[in-house]
Amino acid sequence: MIKLIDGIKNLVIGLMTTGKHLLRHNVTVQYPTQRWEMPERSRGIVVLLSDKETGELNCTVCMLCMRACPASAITIDFEKGEKGKRTLIDFTVDNTICCFCGMCEETCNFAAIKMATMYEFATEDKESLIWHKDKLQEMGRDVPYEKPVRKKPAAKPVAKPAAKPAPDKPADDAKPAAPVETNPPQEKKPEEEPKPAETTAAPEPEKKSEDQSPDEKPPEDQK
Amino acid sequence: MELKGLFKYLYELLASTGLPQGWVDLIAMVALALVVFGFIALVVLYLVWWERKVSAHTQQRLGPMRTGWHGWYQTVADTIKLLQKEDIRPALVDRPVYFWSPVVIFVAAFMAYVVMPFGDGLIVADLNIGILYIVAITSFTIIGMLMAGWGSNNKYSLLGGMRSAAQVVSYEIPMVVSICSIVLFVGSLSMVDIVQSQAKIYQWFIFRLPFGPLAFIIYLIAGVAETNRTPFDLPEAEQELVSGFNTEYSGMKFSMFFLAEFINMFTVAAIAVTLFFGGWHGPVLPSWMWFIGKTLVLVFVIMWFRWTYPRLRVDHLMEFAWKFLIPVAFINLILAALMKYSGWFNW
Repeated sequence: MIKLIDGIKNLVIGLMTTGKHLLRHNVTVQYPTQRWEMPERSRGIVVLLSDKETGELNCTVCMLCMRACPASAITIDFEKGEKGKRTLIDFTVDNTICCFCGMCEETCNFAAIKMATMYEFATEDKESLIWHKDKLQEMGRDVPYEKPVRKKPAAKPVAKPAAKPAPDKPADDAKPAAPVETNPPQEKKPEEEPKPAETTAAPEPEKKSEDQSPDEKPPEDQK
Repeated sequence: MELKGLFKYLYELLASTGLPQGWVDLIAMVALALVVFGFIALVVLYLVWWERKVSAHTQQRLGPMRTGWHGWYQTVADTIKLLQKEDIRPALVDRPVYFWSPVVIFVAAFMAYVVMPFGDGLIVADLNIGILYIVAITSFTIIGMLMAGWGSNNKYSLLGGMRSAAQVVSYEIPMVVSICSIVLFVGSLSMVDIVQSQAKIYQWFIFRLPFGPLAFIIYLIAGVAETNRTPFDLPEAEQELVSGFNTEYSGMKFSMFFLAEFINMFTVAAIAVTLFFGGWHGPVLPSWMWFIGKTLVLVFVIMWFRWTYPRLRVDHLMEFAWKFLIPVAFINLILAALMKYSGWFNW
């Protein structure tokens, strides 16, 4: 008899539970008409950011993103001017192989590349998934971002040791960076200095320096 | 808004055309059958949509939303699609049995509406054996299911058909016994008499303690089991039997099964309303609205069960029917008889 009453009680509890859910607000998003508000830091498509005033691209052709990209989705075309200063010719992101890891955004010190919150870029042919400079710039036009704040203008001592492991490129990196906005790491400067690796600090400076210093090569190999 | 006068007026209009009486009656009969059929088809279309909505909102989804306001004509679209589908007939089926089983099931489900009191005076035929007739005619559903199971020549279908036969036969007993206790009080099998004996709200059998609510619960459980709905949907248990007795059916024939299932659900709710909730009685609104409104609430409760309770195991199902429901139903019947005899609660 007790078992029976207990059973009936449980049946009623079950009904109440489903009844409660019946009245609760539903969670369905009706996709084409309603969309998720994507969080600001969500990793959607890769875009290039431009300066808000001048409209110029923030990219300084330091090639860090290209080397950080584990899928080799980024290709940068540039030409060297006098004093080794590079100018960007084309910046290509192949969205067919991009894995949306966000490494490019993390490595970038100039707020030049970012993963935007947009996630709808399906097309019917693969070619149109390979985005070039203009398209990337266009997509990044309205993407909000914060310019990295440089605390210490004197960055050369940090930049120099980084030049040693990869003698060719990082040296070049440092030069164009210096005139524009003094390349050194932003916040975590004190921690950064003893380590020889990085010219530049990303959101996670320690990790990066470990990645890059031991094997002089771009971190693609590790991924 | 009472529809009684309308039907009477239409009949007199027909009679005044000067046709012979036999023809007038025939036309009236066919017209009435079509009206009932149309009503049931409408109800089923609505119920399928409602079922999908209830299930969706229980799981905090939205259900059909795109076709019309909250997807109200989704079932219409589905029905049209089903009618267009190819009628597949597997090679080794028992042809006549396979062909006739949907018809048997559908007719059995449909025939119950002959004595359904939709409202004051809105009854096709007030048979003096009303409720007995319903119990008898709805039992034909078992034959249809067995035919479908056997005729399909498929192990899953056969298992489903056998299970449904066992289940429906078992649960028919507590159902009929609980109906008996009501009939005992009313003293008549006629549906109209049963409804008229509950004119006031305190006369509703659900409020005649203690036997009324108990009889209702027994009836509801048995009714859910009769219509093969969760938690008693063993004949169609998807995980075990694909789709049970209607596995091999497609297109129009499948939609007949589907239609019959929802008609049966509506029938069970409508009979419960007639027996326990005062049928068409209610203030202000016209009687047929009361009847349909009450029925829809009960239908909702049955759907609510479906999305709450998991399926029973076969042996538990049988055990529950024979070892628990039937004894309780008989005790309830004796209780009702004692109450009737002593005049207790005999309003």
